[in-house]
Amino acid sequence: MINDSLEKWVNQFTDDLLSWAIYKVSDTQLAQDLVQDTFLAASEKYTSFQGKSSPKTWLFSILNYKIIDHYRAKMRQPISMQSLSISTFFNSDGDWLLNKRPTSWDEDEGHLLDNENFNKILKSCIDALPEKWAAGIKLKYLINKKGEEICQELGITPTNFWQIMHRAKLQLRDCIEKNWKREI
Amino acid sequence: MKKIMHILFLSCLKATELIEKKLHFKLSAKEKLQLRVHKMMCDACTDYEEQNIIIEKALAKQEDKEVKLDEKDINLPDLKKSILDKLSK
Repeated sequence: MINDSLEKWVNQFTDDLLSWAIYKVSDTQLAQDLVQDTFLAASEKYTSFQGKSSPKTWLFSILNYKIIDHYRAKMRQPISMQSLSISTFFNSDGDWLLNKRPTSWDEDEGHLLDNENFNKILKSCIDALPEKWAAGIKLKYLINKKGEEICQELGITPTNFWQIMHRAKLQLRDCIEKNWKREI
Repeated sequence: MKKIMHILFLSCLKATELIEKKLHFKLSAKEKLQLRVHKMMCDACTDYEEQNIIIEKALAKQEDKEVKLDEKDINLPDLKKSILDKLSK
């Protein structure tokens, strides 16, 4: 049996929930599934919703859990660290390889952050990362917590966490630099 | 000589690891000093850190945006209907 409030909320909030989910997972089909799961979970937990928050806030918090769960599963995937090898960037002494050495972007920070092309490049470079690294980056901003708390939520060690982020950032920075230099 | 330098003042690989670690956790006094000295000698890692901070800020900013649904090929009435169907089971 469906109750009246839930039916109302489906009509009222599906658009907002979906638009949020698509942005977070960059996949419209997956986003639709997550929104559907959100309402199914809401229906199961309905008795525990006591109107302490607004229905919209409550539904968004359920959706965020679903999104976090999705990335958490991705992060647990047993891709070896080798899939993005350090030797792509550094020689055996740990020095930058010549073609991977960072060079100045000749732009100040404020300028870049507001630059539409720069943000577009960033987004496509995130999507080009191996899923596990991208999941780490997305989770950090979804959970919106610092260091140790994120590690607790993800059930990984701090060392494991920043090593994943380190590899993700090496790749991301390189991808941005290549595409950005082509742009200017 | 180079080996000793790396042990004292880090290789670029180690330096970039600490640059990342610093964003999420507190570095020890020794790590802070090693990183500072390394950057004094290394332009590439200095650029790397600046760019890493820009990327970090850009990532945080990106997450605030929302997607406009009308630009996507989604049938909202169908989705709502399918959700309602599932809920009434």
